Amino acid sequence: MELGLDVRKVGSHSVVDVKGEIDVYTAPKLREKLIELVSDGSYDVVVNLEGVDFLDSTGLGVLVGALKRVKAHDGSLSLVCTQDKILKIFKITGLTKVFPIHSSVDEAAGGAA
Amino acid sequence: MHPVEIAIPAGTAYVGIVRLAVGSLARAAGFDEERVDEIRIAVSEACTNAVLSNEAAGSSEAIVVGWSEEADRTIVEVGDRGATAEAEQGGVLDSQGFSSRLMMSLALIQELVDDLAAEPRSGGGTTTRLTFSRP
Repeated sequence: MELGLDVRKVGSHSVVDVKGEIDVYTAPKLREKLIELVSDGSYDVVVNLEGVDFLDSTGLGVLVGALKRVKAHDGSLSLVCTQDKILKIFKITGLTKVFPIHSSVDEAAGGAA
Repeated sequence: MHPVEIAIPAGTAYVGIVRLAVGSLARAAGFDEERVDEIRIAVSEACTNAVLSNEAAGSSEAIVVGWSEEADRTIVEVGDRGATAEAEQGGVLDSQGFSSRLMMSLALIQELVDDLAAEPRSGGGTTTRLTFSRP
């Protein structure tokens, strides 16, 4: 099982396009990528979940960890997600109150403070 | 359908295999696609907790997933050899007020099943029983 991770710049934001399943096996790869971005000075990050088929509690933990890291640098972490089955995971765990969730990368990169 | 038992090595790489199998079993049992997704999430979380529980307890024993169907419900049992969930979870909230991974996992499982039970497993560990009412 592979997790696709592509990073691109949209304005001042670093966008991570994630493809595949984020679970206990693949989440460490996402964690490493997000740590690497922050270490390299990217503090405004957008994680695009539109290509994600599955997200579990480990993936949520990684996103929360990344949010804490960017906040420590007065940065931001926003998500892009329109899939009901993924949004449901954020709703059940109460994380819709924690992450700005947008319907497109442009909206996330433009609107995130 | 006869009961199905799947044993996976206690490694994180194998949880995805359970999701694949459970997706097929749930579809064959007549659940709609939305419910199939929910069952995959709940069982995947239970397996993840079992794998991590075995790892924490230093056990390399297989994780056993049992799938059985009764007249109006499907029962999925996940057996591990780890410590109890209470013992491994540690703090419920971290210093910044975020839930631990395990708390989020349990919230997901509880929301997505129709009934949840956990009991000590003979020989050590825990059997987690997830019940899904069938349409």
